[in-house]
Amino acid sequence: MPLNHRTAMNAISYNLRWVRRYRKGLLALVILVPLASGASYICGVQWTSLWKGMAESGALVRLMTPEWDAFAEMLKPAMESVLIALVGTLLGTVLSILFAFTAASNIAPKWLRNSVRFVLGLERALPEIVILLFLVAAFGLGPFAGVLSLTIGCIGMLGKLIADAIEELDPVSLESIEAIGATKIQLLVFGVIQQIMPSIISFALFRFELSIRLSIVLGAVGAGGIGLEMYRAFFLLDYPRATTALVVILAMVFVTERLSEFLRKKIKAEGALK
Amino acid sequence: MIEVRNISKSLPGGRKLLDRISFTVKKGEFVGILGASGAGKTLTLRCLNGLLKPDSGSVLVRDAEGKTQDVCSVGKRKLRQLRQKIGVVFQGYHLIRRLTSLDNVLVGRLGQINTLRSLFYGFTEKETEEAMQALEKVKMTHLSSIHVGRLSGGEMQRVAIARAIFQSPGLLLADEPLSNLDPSNAKVIMKLIQPLAQQMPVIGVFHQPEMTARYCTRVIAIKEGKIIYDGDPALSHGQLADIYGEELRQIEQPLSSIVVPGAPLAPQPPDSYERNFL
Repeated sequence: MPLNHRTAMNAISYNLRWVRRYRKGLLALVILVPLASGASYICGVQWTSLWKGMAESGALVRLMTPEWDAFAEMLKPAMESVLIALVGTLLGTVLSILFAFTAASNIAPKWLRNSVRFVLGLERALPEIVILLFLVAAFGLGPFAGVLSLTIGCIGMLGKLIADAIEELDPVSLESIEAIGATKIQLLVFGVIQQIMPSIISFALFRFELSIRLSIVLGAVGAGGIGLEMYRAFFLLDYPRATTALVVILAMVFVTERLSEFLRKKIKAEGALK
Repeated sequence: MIEVRNISKSLPGGRKLLDRISFTVKKGEFVGILGASGAGKTLTLRCLNGLLKPDSGSVLVRDAEGKTQDVCSVGKRKLRQLRQKIGVVFQGYHLIRRLTSLDNVLVGRLGQINTLRSLFYGFTEKETEEAMQALEKVKMTHLSSIHVGRLSGGEMQRVAIARAIFQSPGLLLADEPLSNLDPSNAKVIMKLIQPLAQQMPVIGVFHQPEMTARYCTRVIAIKEGKIIYDGDPALSHGQLADIYGEELRQIEQPLSSIVVPGAPLAPQPPDSYERNFL
């Protein structure tokens, strides 16, 4: 009898061996499917509205033939967006180096390091749009508020990245400069900045890519530039014009991304050689 | 001249790392500090230029005006001034990799020139020429415009010595300058350091008793934070065993394989071993 029982159990477990094999995937499915369907019910995600929207967006696509006459008008705001991103990133990078010095444990005392890191963390937690909304209240609409909010966002991100790069420096190379009798500023310039310059540049390029994309979104909220142009066109239901703006934006983002990737690869290769 | 008087250092728990270390080194002396790992050699050396503050004791050196100063108790500003006259060659590769050999040598005088001038690389032509002369002394002029990151370990250590020469110090400290170097490169470095002793006291931490026996004029041995030997660099086997204890075997192992003529490089497998596999 026990023998038969065991044989039966073996047969079942043999037939269900796929359960054992895929048990991790099955577990995920069992948890995620009810979770997703429950969440979509609460948020009002429905298949029917998807079909309806798709049918309408078909009409939208038909409307969205770019209006090439508006192309020339788009160039100036596009340039403005690029400049907002550029100034914001440059200013942010320079300031973030200063913040990084105070946020690196091998340069700054512990209390300063921890408090600066805390502030940088808070800054990162705030999306640039939120920062912009506050700044618009203080400085009014326009590119200046956009530049400032990008600068602040840049400090939060690059400040941490550069501080981490400083903390990874070989302590002996810093000590050897200290042992010569150099001043603190000389130590920072020759020992620290000199050594992490490739990292700083590649971080800044990466951030520039991000800033370009952000400057478009910020433009719509009040910083001006191509984002505002597109937002306005959508608002007036001038879809061809909005499409022209979209094409310009895509070109802008694509070109900056390629360029920054090219430069970063170049820096990396050179860093490997040196 | 440098005079070390009774420096002691202990951990917060009470374990003594350095125990009343005292010695005096004069111009013309090339002192090698020996000892097992963790004995306190590097710690002693770091006290000499104030990178580490001992709990008690003093390290007396002459400053630019000829006054005797205690490295352990001077203020920050004075310490910087004293350090300008103390050359240091560290273990491993401590140069700035993104600068050329020449720039790395020029860095040696950072402390002695105006901060603002140094930030813009405002080294005068005379200084550049002197730096080239320093590079010539270590036979590195042909690599002066090469980025240090591309140099080999031996070449980097030569640039480091050129930096110390250019600094024109009154005292030279070398913290395991031979680590990471092969024996022939180690000899080259020792031959470069040795003549410097005629101009200034030279103190080095070494891990190779055969090197100190050959090039140093005096050996100080440290064991568990205490000086147990101070004198002639030629040490007998018994003295080495005293200094290194358990570690002696590791130091002697590579030596014996070089010294014994005709010794096999690797142990040969016994016959039976070979037969089993054929």
